[in-house]
Amino acid sequence: MIEFKNIIKSFGERTILKGLSFKINEGEILFILGTSGTGKSVLLKNLVGLMQPDSGEIWIDGEEVSRFTELQYMSIRKKCGMVFQQPALFDSLSVFENVAFGLRRHFDFSEEVIVQKVTRALNLVGLVGIEQKRTSEISYGMQKRVSLARTIAIEPKILLFDEPTTGLDPVTTQAINKLILDLSRTLKTTSVVVSHDMQCALEIADRIIVLDQGNIVESGDVEKLKKSQIPLVKDFLSEALSLIQEKNL
Amino acid sequence: MNSPPSIFTVAENIVKEIGGTILFFVQIIKTFVKTPCKREEVFEQVWKVTIQSMPTTAMSGFFVGAIMTVQFTMQMKEFGALGYLGGLATSGTIREVGPLLIAFMLSGKVGAFTSAELGTMKVTEQIDAIRCLGADPIKDIILPRFLGIIISSFFLLTAGLLMSILGGMLMGQVIAGVNAEEYIRHIPTIVSLPSIGSGIIKCFSFAMVLAMVCTYKGYATTGGAKGVGLSVVKTAVSTMICIVIIDWLTSFLGEIALHIVIS
Repeated sequence: MIEFKNIIKSFGERTILKGLSFKINEGEILFILGTSGTGKSVLLKNLVGLMQPDSGEIWIDGEEVSRFTELQYMSIRKKCGMVFQQPALFDSLSVFENVAFGLRRHFDFSEEVIVQKVTRALNLVGLVGIEQKRTSEISYGMQKRVSLARTIAIEPKILLFDEPTTGLDPVTTQAINKLILDLSRTLKTTSVVVSHDMQCALEIADRIIVLDQGNIVESGDVEKLKKSQIPLVKDFLSEALSLIQEKNL
Repeated sequence: MNSPPSIFTVAENIVKEIGGTILFFVQIIKTFVKTPCKREEVFEQVWKVTIQSMPTTAMSGFFVGAIMTVQFTMQMKEFGALGYLGGLATSGTIREVGPLLIAFMLSGKVGAFTSAELGTMKVTEQIDAIRCLGADPIKDIILPRFLGIIISSFFLLTAGLLMSILGGMLMGQVIAGVNAEEYIRHIPTIVSLPSIGSGIIKCFSFAMVLAMVCTYKGYATTGGAKGVGLSVVKTAVSTMICIVIIDWLTSFLGEIALHIVIS
């Protein structure tokens, strides 16, 4: 469904992605793990055309999209909804208008349909009765949920999450993780989650890819990763397992 | 400690900045021609910019008029031509000081605000979100602000100049004993159409440069809160320099044009 072929991306003299190649299967929850600055977010931004790779190919549903124009990318962005690291809500708009934003731009729905879809999206993320609030009036965790609702409102086939739990408390982190899992299963979407949160990956990922300095150092399901001998993966795992143990105590 | 950048690096960066601003301007114009933004959005920006800058522009206009009158009074007294005080002070304000003052006001208030607003939208990924949600940030965010600054500069110029006449009139009465009627009488004879034209052209040129620089600097912001701060500083410095250069250029070209017309 999605395939990266030998993707290279540099900023100045620094090469961030060094010839990455991998596939993402339909309906799976794929976690891309790595330390900060390894190019995880850059990878997602290349997928939705916010950046273009220096070389390589990106295939989505049988189309090579890496050289698409901004206009051509519109159809891809209807399929691929992206949830950003920060809520990225529009301050001047209400919660309702934020969630309705993509529906108004991507489609030609009547106001009645827009109200239905916004309400459904907000219900799915567990937010009811805050439609008319300004985004500055709600908590950071709620803003994250609104951001998620805004993305799922356009009903994309592919959901991309860029560090969805960064800056959240453990309870909200848990809630967001559950939400990602539930939404992926309920809406039958393919989900790509970029994160450095191994604990979260162990809980909900179907498959995990570990990036280090622009290269894939490990890839496989949770069981395979638990047996990995790669030092970075072992570090990630020990940190995550100790957190899980702490939580269980 | 980092060594200071070489003169070539500085020159290269300046050329890159100028090139980037021009390319961005071309992109704005292309968007304007192909898919103009909604009128209501432009009106909203015009209203916001005008209201934001009106008190400071009016107050500065008032005092500039007063300053010009004080300066001219000293000279006019020597020639016993105080009757021409209003005309000369207003002419100088319209041709030079008024547009320059308004451009500096807009640069300090609107330029810095727009750059910070767009910069914050950029670093908090709102601009990326807009693109992902099927909208064009140039059309929906940049173009209304760009047009808003240019159009509102006209209203601010008008208000600033009217206030400068008022300030000059009051000062004329206080220090030179020239009453309001006498002050205004020679304005139409001394303030010629080319003077008004020159003032308006300057005002729009300054506003255009300001709109270009502040939207570009805001849109090209990177690097979190520090990056936003840096963009605001760069906007203030770049617009001031650009405005002074454009002022010289328009004055110079205006003089040449006037000589050609006269000869």
